[in-house]
Amino acid sequence: MPNNYFNTLPLREQLEQLAKCRFMDISEFSDGVSALKGKKMVIIGCGAQGLNQGLNLRDSGLDVSYALRQAAITEKRQSWKNASENGFTVGTYEELVPTADIVLNLTPDKQHTSVVNAVMPLMKEGACLSYSHGFNIVEEGMKIREDLTVIMVAPKCPGSEVRAEYVRGFGVPTLIAVHEDNDPKGEGLALAKAYAVGTGGHKAGVLMSSFIAEVKSDLMGEQTILCGMLQTGSLLCFDKMIEEGIDAGYASKLIQFGWETVTEALKYGGVTNMLDRLSNPAKIKAFDLSEELKVIMRPLYNKHQDDIIDGTFSRTMMEDWANDDKNLLGWRAETAETAFEKTPAGDVEISEQEYFDHGILMVAMVKAGVELAFETMTAAGIVADSAYYESLHETPLIANTIARKKLYEMNATISDTAEYGCYLYNHACLPLLADFMKGIKSDVIGRGLPVDDNGVDNARLIEVNTALRSHPVEAIGAVLRGHMADMKKIV
Amino acid sequence: MTTRRPIRLEALTIQFDERFQLNNINWQIEPDQHWVITGTNGAGKSALAAVLAGAGELVSGSLSGLPARVGVVSFEAQAELIEAERKKDDADILDVISEGTPVHEMLFKDCADPATARDLVARFKLEYLLDRAFRKLSTGESRKVMLIRALASKPDLLVLDEPFDGLDADTLAMLQQYLATLIETVPMVLVLNRFDEFPDFITDIAYVNQGELQLQVKRDDPRAYAELYQLLHLKTTQLAVPPADPETAIPALDPQQPLVRLKDVGIKYDDKALFSDLDWTINPNQHWQLSGPNGSGKTGLLSLITGDHPQCYVNDIFVFGFQRGSGESIWQIKQFIGYVSSALQWEYRVGTSLRNVIISGFYDSIGLYSKYSDRQRQIADQWLALLGMSHRADQPFNKLSYGDQRLLLIARAMVKHPPLLILDEPCLGLDDMNRQLVLALIEKICAGSETAVVYVNHHPEDRIEGIDNYLALNTPAPTQ
Repeated sequence: MPNNYFNTLPLREQLEQLAKCRFMDISEFSDGVSALKGKKMVIIGCGAQGLNQGLNLRDSGLDVSYALRQAAITEKRQSWKNASENGFTVGTYEELVPTADIVLNLTPDKQHTSVVNAVMPLMKEGACLSYSHGFNIVEEGMKIREDLTVIMVAPKCPGSEVRAEYVRGFGVPTLIAVHEDNDPKGEGLALAKAYAVGTGGHKAGVLMSSFIAEVKSDLMGEQTILCGMLQTGSLLCFDKMIEEGIDAGYASKLIQFGWETVTEALKYGGVTNMLDRLSNPAKIKAFDLSEELKVIMRPLYNKHQDDIIDGTFSRTMMEDWANDDKNLLGWRAETAETAFEKTPAGDVEISEQEYFDHGILMVAMVKAGVELAFETMTAAGIVADSAYYESLHETPLIANTIARKKLYEMNATISDTAEYGCYLYNHACLPLLADFMKGIKSDVIGRGLPVDDNGVDNARLIEVNTALRSHPVEAIGAVLRGHMADMKKIV
Repeated sequence: MTTRRPIRLEALTIQFDERFQLNNINWQIEPDQHWVITGTNGAGKSALAAVLAGAGELVSGSLSGLPARVGVVSFEAQAELIEAERKKDDADILDVISEGTPVHEMLFKDCADPATARDLVARFKLEYLLDRAFRKLSTGESRKVMLIRALASKPDLLVLDEPFDGLDADTLAMLQQYLATLIETVPMVLVLNRFDEFPDFITDIAYVNQGELQLQVKRDDPRAYAELYQLLHLKTTQLAVPPADPETAIPALDPQQPLVRLKDVGIKYDDKALFSDLDWTINPNQHWQLSGPNGSGKTGLLSLITGDHPQCYVNDIFVFGFQRGSGESIWQIKQFIGYVSSALQWEYRVGTSLRNVIISGFYDSIGLYSKYSDRQRQIADQWLALLGMSHRADQPFNKLSYGDQRLLLIARAMVKHPPLLILDEPCLGLDDMNRQLVLALIEKICAGSETAVVYVNHHPEDRIEGIDNYLALNTPAPTQ
């Protein structure tokens, strides 16, 4: 197995790379797509990201075609259908890659090593290789030919949304980076910017980051708050409600759509707004619960971040890759068998406000998860902007997938890497919270606080409000959401 | 009160003169209802009211339940009366100057209810002209006399055609109050053009257009009522379609070249052709109607033109000076097109304001993501005024009724005055009222604009004036 690239760097450079993240100004994109105009773009992989990015790039006036494996073409696999039915030129690696000025590797992480090994020898001198995730470079230590430029353009949304937002005349927030070891002509940034314009990302905001910051923050966010916390929270909250005698259909629905509803408030106004949606007594309750949760879970968040930084996580996951995904597939099957997953949402009306009022514990879990992930990432040297995007910003996106088809949909949508990390988190977190859950009753999950008295102590309420509003994730959130609001007049 | 029965007009066609006919009227007036008939000038409002007073020649259908005594006030009736007075004068063989019938005689001779007549003379303050000749009165004065005559005739039905016209504010208020005291006694049918003059006791509204009774709206249905208001506004407003924004003008096109030229185009899924080998050229200012059964590919064909269909890159398509697939961007194409369809409406489920939805038409975006100019804002406001939605400019789009959303999206499509406006089944999913609204707006747009219109529609009754080119797609051939 090759060397972990990050671990080969001296500490000084590790810290410098981790700290790279800057919100770019729209004026930096005034050249539009011109750096890519007339160049041949060849996309490897025609799944959701590959197809939708290609559609956007072509509609932006760029020359796009798809290189697929011979077998995918001969057997007319889905990827071949996706590309050819949409009127793209499709060919084998051998046919198309040698003509490419830029090769866009949009295959799943797991295939990167074999794809890059197949593609690299075919690429012409001085061409560009683009990634949408830096795992292969950073964790697997893939060495790219010295004459090639290596960039990353990573839209921070599922492929379908990348397309839908473009068609609306907008785009999705996008992260770009240049792999400094591979920028022989110094054109990496210009190419990455033009690519971001081609997919519409510049309209929604672009973060200039590094391969390392992207990988280390992305892994951390997806395993902990984004997927892990929502999965663990779903299972615990459901079982508790059943134990408390709440109708299973109601419990299932409250959770399935509850994450989406409460994190919608998060998207608009951060953790503060999410808690402000609660009554004063419920807000104080949620705050207290989340403080308790943060104390219990902090060591787990630290462990995930440590394993990600030192490469333990990627090493163990790659061992599972080598073992035919035995763990991953087993854990996936296990998730499908949980009571929450097997209980369909009941045909009951739950108002938007009720999701908050009856989901106090869920609100507390989201708050604890977002803040812990953010605090852990920034403590590890990742800058606040990155940490915000990889924690708070993406939580509603993942919550939407649970609303569609529960945990199955979430795990099917996210990458195998994220899914693997999610299960790791879930397995550790369930027992960790067992004692805590013993003290939980249906007043904070399922039924809501008794409404006979909404009185609270003034001093305590002021304390809680101040604490909520002064958390650093709220400060950076206000700035970044402000950028977004400037560009996107409507949400 | 005698037991009353409804007045029924069934499939009634009535001829007035060679030029005007009411067609296929189906209408029932219950004894406890009070109607307003409304519509644009020349629509047939007064004719329909006159039918209730026995006018017109029955061509077909039936009319039943008309009471014996109908009190009528209308310009026509007024004119007839004045004409009759004038003839009386002409017919006078004595060599004396005839003053004609004095007002008191007009009012009290053969009067069924003199007490009411006296009361009303006082209310209208007409004592001063009781001795004058009727034909010497001003129009307003004779109108008041007509009203008193009708109201004092112990009518079983009151038909009042624009009764408030020419009345001063005090008299108008008095008359409205007085009519309100009659609602238990006599059903009323009023012809009125101005919504603000509708008395509170009105229970039902009939909308007449082109000699047909097209819509019947309950007063207590606030949505339908608001839509009717808007329809009448659109039909009667003097406002023209607002101008384009000179700052963001669409690039000029070569007038010698077609807007769109499709050669041998087709769409294929899984080797199955939705349609194939189709040629179509759309020249500037040419209006087209595109028809074809469901599944024949109408929307697909249009999306090849708009660039929304990915197979536009594998067809021979020339649009607005660009051969597709030659490195042009989709936004370079879209700037020349205004587009409305129910799919767009489905996509456009955003909470932005009505004004922003119209402004977004300058940017071809769904939602508004750009800083707009004051000028663009002004133009959007002019459109809202045209639509009768000025007072709702800041309301959220997704809270609008379906029909209002459609109107707004049509305005959005036209705001930049595109050389090509594509209306893909613009009336789809709309009720009668909203169909009328949409058609009224489209007619307004087509009149005098320099936009070529491609109009997709199944319904022959939704035809638009001025469309004279037709393209019909066939049912897809079964695959061999």
